[in-house]
Amino acid sequence: MGKYILKRVVQFIPVFLGVTIILFALQNIVPGDPVLLITGGKAVSEETDTAIRAAQGLIETDEDGNAIYDENGDTIPTPVWKQYFNYLNGLLHGDLGTSYSRGLDVTDILLEKYPYTVRLAALAICIEAVVGIGAGIVSAVKRYSFWDVLVTLVTSVLVAMPAFWLGMLLQLFFGVFLKNVTGGAFYLPISGAGGAHAEFQGWVYYILPAITLASVSTAYTARIMRSQLLEVMNQDYIVTAKAKGLSRGGIILHHALKNALIPVITYIGIDFGAMLSGAILTETVFNWPGVGMEIYRAITQRDWPIVLGGVTVIVVVVMIINLLVDVSYAFLDPRIRYGSPKKEG
Amino acid sequence: MSDTMNTTVQPEESAPSSSRTLWGDAWARLRKNKLAMIGAAWIIFVILVAVTADLWAPQLLGSPTAIDTATAASNARLAPSLEHPFGTDASGRDVLVRVIYGARVSLTVGVVATLISTAIGLVMGAIAAYYGGIWDTIIMRLADMFLAFPYTLFVIALIAVIGRSLQNVFIAIGILGWPSIARVFRSAILSIKENDYVDAARAMGASDLRIVARHIFPNSVASIVVYATMNIGGAILTESALSYLGMGVTPPTPSWGTMIQDGQTFLQTEPWLMILPGLAILTTVLAFSLLGDGLRDALDVKMKDA
Repeated sequence: MGKYILKRVVQFIPVFLGVTIILFALQNIVPGDPVLLITGGKAVSEETDTAIRAAQGLIETDEDGNAIYDENGDTIPTPVWKQYFNYLNGLLHGDLGTSYSRGLDVTDILLEKYPYTVRLAALAICIEAVVGIGAGIVSAVKRYSFWDVLVTLVTSVLVAMPAFWLGMLLQLFFGVFLKNVTGGAFYLPISGAGGAHAEFQGWVYYILPAITLASVSTAYTARIMRSQLLEVMNQDYIVTAKAKGLSRGGIILHHALKNALIPVITYIGIDFGAMLSGAILTETVFNWPGVGMEIYRAITQRDWPIVLGGVTVIVVVVMIINLLVDVSYAFLDPRIRYGSPKKEG
Repeated sequence: MSDTMNTTVQPEESAPSSSRTLWGDAWARLRKNKLAMIGAAWIIFVILVAVTADLWAPQLLGSPTAIDTATAASNARLAPSLEHPFGTDASGRDVLVRVIYGARVSLTVGVVATLISTAIGLVMGAIAAYYGGIWDTIIMRLADMFLAFPYTLFVIALIAVIGRSLQNVFIAIGILGWPSIARVFRSAILSIKENDYVDAARAMGASDLRIVARHIFPNSVASIVVYATMNIGGAILTESALSYLGMGVTPPTPSWGTMIQDGQTFLQTEPWLMILPGLAILTTVLAFSLLGDGLRDALDVKMKDA
């Protein structure tokens, strides 16, 4: 087991380096001079220009952060490989640089936004797990029944639907239609995460975005649950359990479900990683103050330190969660542990 | 079925025998699959509407792009009526005609992006599987890197770098889509490679390229077709998301995602603005996935993911 974990961690390193190199390269080939992006396109004096470049690590500086000049009195641009090294070094020390447009530390900005994204993702995962697994079990147990057809139909539609459009339909029904029908007595908030509207408790704001974020994944969870359970039900040990005279409910609960759930839990785990990467579309529809929207705003404004820092954090979080999922998978299913000797049965 | 010993092939016999080929069999099975046929019919309908739109749509419903400044204000955001079955947008343009022209963007992006991903994925998958060893490791780690990125963010960042245009949308979606198809093709090749006829071809002195082109490609073409069909729907969804975020085709070219974004502003007062474009995306993506499912069953392709 230890060997397997070590192997996975070693595989993680080149992927991580590759990802940071791709991101860093993207930042360096994008159009736009950082100084102009920071000053908002205004021309600045040469001293200010030099000071900005020195602060952003674009030119060589001495220990006090002052620019070093060559014999012609010009500043010396920092080589790209050295900029990458500095970025990586900062990353390992939790320093992600300073935002161009806001002048704040990227780390602080992300720390402010992350709680919203994490809470939304956690709620969405709960919906996904409960509804997805539940629907999948019903669908498999009552195969070809009305409920099975319904689950198949709904999951097909959810997978083909743009999630942001579903979010807007939910806004339309729960925020606009219900408000009109009940004369304003009952409706759900459709924008933001609270604060501005005193009439709602904070958690109410999470309902519609969480459903939107969970929609596609819930459909996939239900599909995987159904196909896994149907597959497990055909295994020899289930046939044996039936022959022993166990009840159908008992077989499903005590024998089939345990094994059928492994791939489902793996999927949900990986999906949690994906949701933590900031649901950019859901967050945009609901004007949600999370990481996804922050990074999207940064991309459109070419605020590259936030993009680079944010995406790096996301990728690392996603990769760590995938690693944990893989390890737990190997723990749950001994056949995955490549290094360990094969067991019988 | 290729009976090469039989030198006297009669033309009458070739017609019925064609139904016993892989594709003939598959077609027979596909025809019985009602959902897949509905999907195929819808796709053909959307293609026909998009291709012939110039001949009839503007005459009936007005221009999809031009804004008539004289009447724009009085015609803006009209409720659905006989003249405008799905109302008009904020600039007084008919919603239906814009959805019809939006099909062009969606279908083009879906098909071209899939062609790009498939081409890159096939080459990468073939190299990885056929040569194995260090090539396999490099390509598969590269695929891991691409897949480690949050997909939507990656596409948006790429568009931000290369600029916003129809061409760049399908380039970005196409380039970022290769890792999954490379994986599918790689595992297909790995299983085909084990067959005796590949060893036989090699023993007869066939070159690598010939083995891939004559033996491996034809035997994996079924899984490629199925995968590509399903991929088109995904690419259409990604395009709509990009357009919704304002990173897709530039206005005034109508795109379903852009129309939904425009409609969001008037969600509380004129909700029909976002209904029709959303339905267009939903039905088209659903049609491709139904057809893909049907092809998968008809061609008996085993896919790992549901």
